[in-house]
Order: sequence, then C-alpha cells, then structure tokens
Amino acid sequence: MKLLQATSLTKKFKNKTAVNGINLTINKGDFVAFLGPNGAGKSTTINMLTGIIQPTSGMIDFYGKSTTNRDYRNKIGVVFQSSVLDNNLSVKDNIMTRAKMYHKPTQIQLLINKFDLESIWKQKYGSLSGGQRRRVDIARALVNSPELLFLDEPSTGLDVRTRTAIWTVLNQLRRDTGLTIVLTTHYLEETQTADYVYIIDQGKIIAENTVNKLQKQYTQNILTLYYPNGESKKLSVNDKDHAIEILSKNSQAISDFEYRPGTMNDVFMNLTGKEIH
Amino acid sequence: MSGLICRNLKMYFNDRSGVFFSLMGAMISFILYLAFLSQNMITSWARVPDTKLLLDPWLIGGTLTITAITTTLSSLSLMVQDRENNVLEDIDLTDISYVGIQFAYIVTSMFVGVIMQLIMYLIMGTFFMIVDNSMFNLMIFPQMFGLSVLSSFTWTIFNLLLLSFVKKVDTLGKIGTIIGTASGFFAGVYIPIGTLPTTMQNLMKVTPAPYNSAMYRDVLMNVQLNKSFSKLPTVELSKFKKVMGISVDWNRALTFQQDMLIFISFAALISLCVFLISRISRRLILSKV
Repeated sequence: MKLLQATSLTKKFKNKTAVNGINLTINKGDFVAFLGPNGAGKSTTINMLTGIIQPTSGMIDFYGKSTTNRDYRNKIGVVFQSSVLDNNLSVKDNIMTRAKMYHKPTQIQLLINKFDLESIWKQKYGSLSGGQRRRVDIARALVNSPELLFLDEPSTGLDVRTRTAIWTVLNQLRRDTGLTIVLTTHYLEETQTADYVYIIDQGKIIAENTVNKLQKQYTQNILTLYYPNGESKKLSVNDKDHAIEILSKNSQAISDFEYRPGTMNDVFMNLTGKEIH
Repeated sequence: MSGLICRNLKMYFNDRSGVFFSLMGAMISFILYLAFLSQNMITSWARVPDTKLLLDPWLIGGTLTITAITTTLSSLSLMVQDRENNVLEDIDLTDISYVGIQFAYIVTSMFVGVIMQLIMYLIMGTFFMIVDNSMFNLMIFPQMFGLSVLSSFTWTIFNLLLLSFVKKVDTLGKIGTIIGTASGFFAGVYIPIGTLPTTMQNLMKVTPAPYNSAMYRDVLMNVQLNKSFSKLPTVELSKFKKVMGISVDWNRALTFQQDMLIFISFAALISLCVFLISRISRRLILSKV
C-alpha cells in the first residue's frame, strides 16, 4: 500500500540544483534505501520529505497530507545525520523531555529495553560512545511511535558490530510494528537488505528497483582467474554454466579462481562510471 | 511546551560554567564595589550618616539589573545554539507549534532571570547583613519579586530583539562580553549616573537599564534613606537620589511610578519591534528552516 509519494521534487539553492525532478513512492512497511555518494542530494531529498525544507517545486503526498501538516510530522521519526540531542543532559533527560513534547502517550520502557538503554540511562549523552549515541538518537526518533522512520546516514563512523546491532533492532521493529524505513546511505552493504533502492547521483534518480533486479540489470557475475606467475584476469560471465565452461577450459593453466555475483558497488560503478566511496 | 521549557531550564542550570559566566557582570560590579568603589563613595557622601548602610542596597539594586540583563541573555542564547546545531529542526517535529517553541524560550529566559536575581539578592543581602550589619528587610520581598519578574520580562524581550540578528554561536560570545561590560555602566553601578557628563547620561536614559536600577534602589533603600536624611534638608535627599540614580532625572526627579511607567513603555516598544521583525521574517527570530 502506498504511504508516501513524491512527484517531480526539485530543490534549488541559489544557482545550484541539489535535487532535480525526483519521483518516488514509498510503500507501507517497506525498507527503502537512497544510495549515492556524498553531495548526491540524498539529505536534501530526506529534508524535503520530512518537511524540514520546502521543495522549490514538486509535490509530496502522505495519505493526502502535505509535509507542513502537523499530523504528518506526528507520524514520522527522523534520525538526523549529525546528532541533535544535548550533550549536557543525561540520556533520561534527553528522551523524557522530548517525550513530553508530544501529546500522545509514549512507550519509553519499550524503547529502553529494545535499544538496551538501561545501563546508560543516567549517563550524560556527551559521554557516550558513537554507537551508544546512535542508539539513543534512534530511540528519540521512535519516541512518538512513528509509522515512518527516516534515517539520514545513521551508521557513518560506526563499527560493524554496532551497525549490525542497530539493524537487528530496526528489523525487529519492522516485523513487530510494520514500521516503514527510509534510509540514506553510502554503505553498500546496508542496501542489500532493502526492499527497494533508489540510486541518486547529481540530484537525479539514475536507477531504481529491488536489489536483485538492479544487480541483474546493471551487473554481471565476475570470474577472476589467478595464474601461477601471480597474474590474474577478471572476466564478466552471464551465469554459472558459463563460469564452469571457462574454468574447465583453463583448469590446467590457473592456480586458483574467484567467482562472485555483481554487487551494489558494481551497479553503481556501471551506472556512473565511478565508485561510491 | 512544558517539555521544552523543562529541557531549556535543565540546559541552563546543568551548565555550571555557563551559570557562572552569566553572573560575571554582576560579580564584577560586586567585587569592584568591595575593592574600592564603596570607599570612594563613602568619602564623597561623608556628610550623610550611615553612608555604608545606604550604599549596600544601592549596589544590590544596580547589580540586580545587571543580573537580569546578563542571565536572560545567557539563557536566550540557547535559542541561537539550537538554531545552529539543528536542534530546532528536531523540536519542530514535535507537537509544539512554532509560536509555542518561541514562547518556551522566552518563558525559560524569564524564569532564569527571576531565579538568578533572587539568588543574587539573597547572596548579597546576606553578605552585607553579616559584614556591615545591613538590614535584610523581608517586608519588601513581594515588591522585589514583582520587580524581578518585570525586569526579567523586559530584558528577555530586549535580548530576543538583539539575538534576532545573531546567526552564529561564535557571535554570541562576543555579544555576551559586550553586554556584560556595558550593562554595568548603563545600570549606573560602576559609576553613579549623576557624576557622568550629560551626553553620557542622556545615552543611558534611552535604555531601560537606569530605570530598572532606580526602581530596585527605590524599594531597597527607602527605609534607610528616610533614616539617614531625617535630619538633613530635603534638597540634599533629592540631590543624592539624582546623582546616585535612585530616581532618574528628567529635568526633575522621576517618581517610582514614573520610572516604572517608562520601563514598561520600553518593554512595550521592544515587544512591538520583536513582533514586527517576526512578521517580516520568521527566520530572523527563531528558525533557519
């Protein structure tokens, strides 16, 4: 079911067009990823979708409401790229004062348990590690039990373990509550579990589809052959049968081989001619 | 809105160094007075009996004006910091309306101003009671409380107008320093208003500061003035009041009620300016979004 739709979304800053005529649809319960390099227009898009900035032109529709509508604001949660909580206050004060800013009742205890905040509840936010802060940031974004959660590059600078832990909780929330998640990222592995991916570059959507379809459409499987003299050769192959055929022919000549399907990085490279990082 | 007020209050009072520095202007005037100002003034008013008992509440009156100016500025600075750090974008997502957000910062600032003025009053009052055997008159507490609310309101609005034009946290520190230093002069604490050249006096009179000090001093010094000047000619009392800024001189000495009327008129005028600016550009006052 369609939850949010944006049509011809454009944002111009003075003489620079940050986002240029983007169309997108976000379905209820989906995990949608915006993938693109820094400066591609991902954050600008998110800021327009959350109503923080107004588009120069274009429409955003959420159950027939506009983004400036307070009911809309009430149904979304946002994890900002840089932290917006107060370093001087404890985790408890940060979360509880934000909770008081909403009229509807909140389920703080649930968030404490889910994000494992009990042990850091009375610590100052400023004294927490990057991973702990991110957990608190996400808990804050979920204080009003939103239907739609926006995460703007949430895992930048976090280690793999913390990233995995955060995604475990978010995936669990999606299962339990049907939460819809919109993520911007330049970590390719984070998009692998997305239901739908928009690839953005220079303010435009250059490709969109499910991960599988994007990989099928824009990449080929890569077979790398390693020779005893240390040389190697990369070959694009259509399927496993083609790979087996090549390997059989070269079995005497090669010392080793590697076979991997195309990744989102290959998709991105093939689309833009550059790597994402 | 109570959530935001609660958060803003915690932000102010949790920051110990911030609280300390917001009282810097007030403390400077207090220390300068103890170090040498009081002695100078006692010498100049030697013919008045119990000069010390007159000058202690005189200093308190001026220092409370400085406190009102600097602490409300410090509290309101949070608004600029929140704007620069994108905290307002997050708060704007909550159920508090745009007007509510503005109001919360104003209420917080007023609350901080009142609390800090009362704390300073208690500290200085107790200090002078111990050191100089000055009277700590609890009967005037309701008037003092009323004045602290009025000063807090006026200076909050004044600082709101001032900070409307400040976009960067970096500028805040500079403004804080300027206001902290200037407030002591404008409140007539470092140098009594009557001893300054006329131009300087006129400049001071176009700000609310000397009226604020005058009102405080009127309330605080009333009993002691009657005692000290009981055996002196009335002209001496009115000269003392004019020179020391206990009543502001507008060709004739203003009464307490007139001081208050002018002070409230300032508040009304500044409120109107703030309102007009907020109508012209919402961005100027609060939000950069």
